[in-house]
Amino acid sequence: MAQAAIDVRAGELRQLVNRKYRFIDRKWDFMFWFTAAFVVAAAADITRLLFAGDWDFWTDWKDRQWWMTITPFATIIIPSALQYIQWRAWRMPTGATYTATCLFVAAWIGRTFQWHFFVNYPMNFIWPATWIPAGILIDFLLLETRSFIITSVIGAGIWTIAFWASNYIMLAPFLQPTTFIGHTLTVADVQGITYIRAQTPEYLRVIERGSLRTFLQEPQYVALAFGTTVAVGGYWIGQFIGRYLSVWPIGRFLKQI
Amino acid sequence: MQEQVRPRVEERPARAPTGEAPEIPGRGPTDWWGGWRWGFVSLLIIAGVAVAIRIYQGIFTFPWGLDSSTWQFFWLWRMLVVVELAAVGVFTVLWWGWLLRSGRDLPERISHREEVRRIAVFWSLVGAVSLNIYFEASFFPNQDGAFHQTLVRDTAFTVSHIPMFYLFFPLGITLAVGTYLYGRTRLPAVYGAWKGFPWSFFLLIAATVTEMMQVAMNEWGHSINFANAGAEEFFSVWFHWPFVLYGWLAGGIFALWGETILRLTQIEDDIVKEEAEVPSPEAAPV
Repeated sequence: MAQAAIDVRAGELRQLVNRKYRFIDRKWDFMFWFTAAFVVAAAADITRLLFAGDWDFWTDWKDRQWWMTITPFATIIIPSALQYIQWRAWRMPTGATYTATCLFVAAWIGRTFQWHFFVNYPMNFIWPATWIPAGILIDFLLLETRSFIITSVIGAGIWTIAFWASNYIMLAPFLQPTTFIGHTLTVADVQGITYIRAQTPEYLRVIERGSLRTFLQEPQYVALAFGTTVAVGGYWIGQFIGRYLSVWPIGRFLKQI
Repeated sequence: MQEQVRPRVEERPARAPTGEAPEIPGRGPTDWWGGWRWGFVSLLIIAGVAVAIRIYQGIFTFPWGLDSSTWQFFWLWRMLVVVELAAVGVFTVLWWGWLLRSGRDLPERISHREEVRRIAVFWSLVGAVSLNIYFEASFFPNQDGAFHQTLVRDTAFTVSHIPMFYLFFPLGITLAVGTYLYGRTRLPAVYGAWKGFPWSFFLLIAATVTEMMQVAMNEWGHSINFANAGAEEFFSVWFHWPFVLYGWLAGGIFALWGETILRLTQIEDDIVKEEAEVPSPEAAPV
């Protein structure tokens, strides 16, 4: 009996999947994913730019204290919202990857046409960080756990560490030591001195402050741990956006304004 | 002198109904050059305007965009603000006016085919809103950060602010409200006046309006030097954060897609029901 009920239900679902529509075709899918990419990229980019932009603009600001604490918080918000929307609507574990990809394209267009062609900073100084590997991993986590709570707690840690690890590969060449006017600096520091940011004076350079050096090489791990905890908060901000600003309004009306 | 009196609404001669899209091959409700035509045309127009402005900036920023006291700055940049606001204003009045006036004369009952075509046009308009949000929240903000961290500003009307705050921000309001007017007049089953005001549009329009209002707080913040922020350029400064918070309200755009997808599936179900009811060999009219 139970098997018969299962077979009936499977038949109904199969009919639904194979249903032929008069007007609904793949063009609707294409137009949705293509036009949604603009607003998703915009939302992710503006959140990153205005919450954590300074640390992402320059190689010398990609430090071990602030970059890996603030940036994961700022950049997990919109992927979390898209995870909710795509999982709720289609059970698709692609929200974070889709957002990270859209953000990647928007960031590179912005850096190339504005930061490089407009004000002539070299691309190896202003390259944007990527979140695609981190996005793939937390989407996989959602697929496996089917739980937003577990994805928020463990996923925030994966997001932060994967973000740092995947971008460290590109950052490492610029952390090599060099001497400049008698001082030992990193290559990134020399870039920061050479390519003047006239309206961002030195006292606004919020990188590696405090008694960092006494912690030897530990600050980055402390920053990663703190970045993880802050990213959990960012994940739930994104869940609020997905649940109450994007999905809840469907079919709901104000009776008067 | 003979007095001209405008006839009351019920006395005016009935206009011919606007009718439905003619059945031309390749111009059907879901054909690329049929119902989806505005999807490409509107995106190309908005992208074209953005590219044109970016080229204009590339030519005239250095040297005439740096010193706001020069007459060249006045004619090349301050006048551009006037041109942008006037252009958006004229477009708004013409487009909204056309939507409202022509919306009154549309037939009350439309075929499924026509309704699907209108939903495709609606999605095209939502796509235009989406692309506009990209230019106002990603493309030109990147330029804003690049320009202002590089150079000293001496006016609120800087080269990067002019297209961002005084073209794409107000255009966002125009497009969002215009898309609502299209939905209200052309898709009564989804956004008819009798249903009330949709929360989806409330959030999307609120995003565009509050973003415009936030420009004032932004300029106030940049004019002061409080807690090492303001006159110096730190992009993550606190008075930039409301731009992000208001921008999140644009998440309501997903509800627009959701509501119209649900209506599309309802139309498909109605077609199946009508075809089941019609006994004749011909398919039920769509």
